Amino acid sequence: MRKEILVDVKNLTHQFHLTKKAVIRAVDDVSFQIFKGEIFGLVGESGSGKSTVARCLMNIYEPSAGSIQYRGIDICDKREFQKNKQMLQTRRQIIFQDSTSSLNQRMKVADIISEPMKIHHITPPRGSYRKEAEFQMKYVGLDESFLDRYPSEMSGGQRQRVAIARALSMEPEFLVADEPIASLDVSIQAQVINLFRHLQQEHGFTFLFIAHDLAMVEYLCDRVGVMYHGRMVELAPAKELFSNPLHGYTKTLLSAIPIPDPVRERKRKLLVYDGADFGKGELKEVSPDHFVLQRSEGGYTGEKA
Amino acid sequence: MTDAAFELVGQRAVQEEKISAKKKWYQEKPVLSIGILSIILLGCLFAELLMTKDPTYMDLVNYNKAPDREFLFGTDTMGRDIFSMMWYGGRLSLLIGALSTIISTMIAIVVGALSGAAPQWLDSLIMRFTEIFLSIPSLLLVILLQAIMGNANVISLSVVIGLTSWTSIAKVVRTEVRQIRNSEYVIASRCMGGSFFHILWKHLAPNFISSIMFMVIMNVRNAIISESTLSFMGIGLPLEIISWGSMLSLSEKALMTGSWWIILIPGLFLVTTLLCLTNVGNYLRKNVNRKESNL
Repeated sequence: MRKEILVDVKNLTHQFHLTKKAVIRAVDDVSFQIFKGEIFGLVGESGSGKSTVARCLMNIYEPSAGSIQYRGIDICDKREFQKNKQMLQTRRQIIFQDSTSSLNQRMKVADIISEPMKIHHITPPRGSYRKEAEFQMKYVGLDESFLDRYPSEMSGGQRQRVAIARALSMEPEFLVADEPIASLDVSIQAQVINLFRHLQQEHGFTFLFIAHDLAMVEYLCDRVGVMYHGRMVELAPAKELFSNPLHGYTKTLLSAIPIPDPVRERKRKLLVYDGADFGKGELKEVSPDHFVLQRSEGGYTGEKA
Repeated sequence: MTDAAFELVGQRAVQEEKISAKKKWYQEKPVLSIGILSIILLGCLFAELLMTKDPTYMDLVNYNKAPDREFLFGTDTMGRDIFSMMWYGGRLSLLIGALSTIISTMIAIVVGALSGAAPQWLDSLIMRFTEIFLSIPSLLLVILLQAIMGNANVISLSVVIGLTSWTSIAKVVRTEVRQIRNSEYVIASRCMGGSFFHILWKHLAPNFISSIMFMVIMNVRNAIISESTLSFMGIGLPLEIISWGSMLSLSEKALMTGSWWIILIPGLFLVTTLLCLTNVGNYLRKNVNRKESNL
């Protein structure tokens, strides 16, 4: 049974112009689909273009080429975006990596959480904005006494929960989380991840989860895309990807995961990926739902033939 | 050998410090300035209660009289009671100061935020325009605009002064906005669909308001000065509309007759108000600088 496609990214390319001549291709010809109700993970090293993809999906950046369709609406097209602006802005929400900078230091928590509702003039279903904020706070597991505090008076995990509560207050169907756990310490990471899992099960929203912590991705995600230097090198269901990585870069990435067992950890070999002829080739389906970047004449890119 | 021969190396003698008395609430605050300023402000607001004479009534018998018991500050060359005029005229002076500051701050915030949020080329364009505007002496502009607008009244004078004094605030606002505009909460708000003005008032303004507070207060001061300068030169408010500036415009005649009170008393009020405003502004600036590190 094929699932319903919610987000369809086709040949997405985004370039940053440093000077008039120097151009950086942050995202290079990336295509993938996100199905409704799944958690889609995006992994890769720093600077591989994960966040740029997320920001393109949220209309923060305008892609240089390619198209993004959200429920069949081309959001890169200005006219179509304007037509469906209200729907797009309420249904899609983003959670940023750094909760310190994603919350205004001069606003109280209650105001932060109810801000999106105030922008769209939505009458709060639970009476008042304050009650609504209280409800969302409880939902993410925070005490309502925090409502009158400022973000600087809270810990990192609490702040990240406030950011999540703000995103959830619109009851979105598509949530982009741009490394939501990267700035948190390990115990709080677990809390936030479990919160995400719980929320996803209860709400059933679609989730784009960006991370560089592979263990978390394996635990949380249904399907995972691996990015390297702006390209999607491998795309597969999480279990398949972690048990049977095909592309050289994925293998290298997975070999970097520490194993919590001293005997096996000592045997673990760190692979090195040289990426010699990386960049040529296409994403091809090798087995059902498992896509790998391949040379046109066969064999995976970045591997000695 | 006695202990006195030894001295421990590396131990610094600590002088016992006296615990200074706890700071009182009024210390380091411009209490005197705020006090005087509020007295002047309240006096002007409730001028009817203070006035001993009708400030517009020209008493032709008692003109140019030195201060005495009946006319506390004396009368001017047209026989008006200066004590009553002081409070009555202060209203207009302060009103012009406040009104033109509101106008210029509004323009400054909108232009500055627009320029800060705009793409590079538009930003440069707006800023170059602002600099050209800044380079023309403001008095010249005021005179020019006033000539275009015709007869001076309180509103037109405030508008003219407001229109010519927004540039420096706009430059500060622009710098601040450029710093904050790429922070994630602004991006988040934009994603949620916040309009330009929503982001401006909710996110940007609270962050830059403290840094322009000093300039805004100074703007009130400059507006009051501009008004008196213009009135003194005879292009501001006419003589029959009483303000501190128009009272000062009588001073040239007063100089010839040697009636010091006509010059000194409005001047004293003006200088006191300006000094207090400067003092308050200075305090605000210092306080903001100190608080910044706390946030």
